[in-house]
Amino acid sequence: MERQEAIDILAEGRGDAISVPTMQSVFPWHEAGQGDVLNVDASQCMGSASTLGLGLALARPDRKVMVLDGDGSLLMQLGSLVSVVESSPPNLYHFVFGNGLNQSTGNQPLPAQGVFDWVALAKAAGYKHAMRIAQAEDLIEQLPAIWALEGPVLIDLEIAREEGPPRWAGVPMAKQVALLKAQLAAS
Amino acid sequence: MTTAEPVAFGVAADAIAAEIDALGITHVVCVPDTFQRTIIARWEAGTTPRLVKVCTEDEGVGVNAGLYMGGQNPMMCIQNNGIFASINTLKAIALDAKVPTLMMVGHFQRDVTKPIEEQGSRAVRMLEPTLEAWGIPYWRVEGPQDIGAFRAAYERSRADLGPAVIIVGAPTV
Repeated sequence: MERQEAIDILAEGRGDAISVPTMQSVFPWHEAGQGDVLNVDASQCMGSASTLGLGLALARPDRKVMVLDGDGSLLMQLGSLVSVVESSPPNLYHFVFGNGLNQSTGNQPLPAQGVFDWVALAKAAGYKHAMRIAQAEDLIEQLPAIWALEGPVLIDLEIAREEGPPRWAGVPMAKQVALLKAQLAAS
Repeated sequence: MTTAEPVAFGVAADAIAAEIDALGITHVVCVPDTFQRTIIARWEAGTTPRLVKVCTEDEGVGVNAGLYMGGQNPMMCIQNNGIFASINTLKAIALDAKVPTLMMVGHFQRDVTKPIEEQGSRAVRMLEPTLEAWGIPYWRVEGPQDIGAFRAAYERSRADLGPAVIIVGAPTV
């Protein structure tokens, strides 16, 4: 599926979940109107989306937390799969945008692309559920059932290659941290 | 024959736990450290604060930030090599994103019979210069007399909305 298709479907189905996008999911997530409410971008800390989400999920067990990770990003902190399982928050939903590329730096292929398997890695780490979704219509159909699963859940989204320069939302993370903290305190 | 006398002394886990409890810390995000074995064991055996075990210090900085945004009052417990390993994340999250990040840092390989400046271990010698290079405030805990460092570092991290380091210079007892 196209990245924008996945973003639009997740935005439509987000509900009141806290969101943590990173890298090339950030700009379209903001364009879809999801950047100002219960959101923090993992900016300038490639690989940290999963652990920001883990901390939020532990802090607020009353809310779902959705991480919009990248495959290159998650490889940078691959051990976070195990750290997530150590605490196993049932409210953590870990979407991995898998295009097999480091898109932001020029679409270089990931190491061992086509060999490693996110679903197998997540299951081996101990995630409660892990699945791969390749088509937009399947994501639409399965998303309600995914939200009903007990986490941690990893969803490997097969995302098509995109050309063109990287796009950035440009919102300082400090501003988002303060805003999200205030929004959560008030909710 | 002379015997080298220690210049740094371990602080009791009970005393550290009392300080941390008094600060209202809810979670300790931890990567194991040799010098802090007794306090880590104490937290692991208890329920408050909750010990959150992670694989790397990078991960710890992220989890600490998530807990903070979610309204909790967390801190980290790592070793000196973990500072070197997590500089990019400390830069982005603790410094640039202004997240209070209180870190107890065990001085792995520190020779307690010598002052910091005379240490043979590069990890020990370079910790404070590294923190200074990044503008991260730190407090040495060289014995029970330094117990007040915990509150000082905590208050600084919350006032500055940034990192603050407590350097644990001898194995806790």
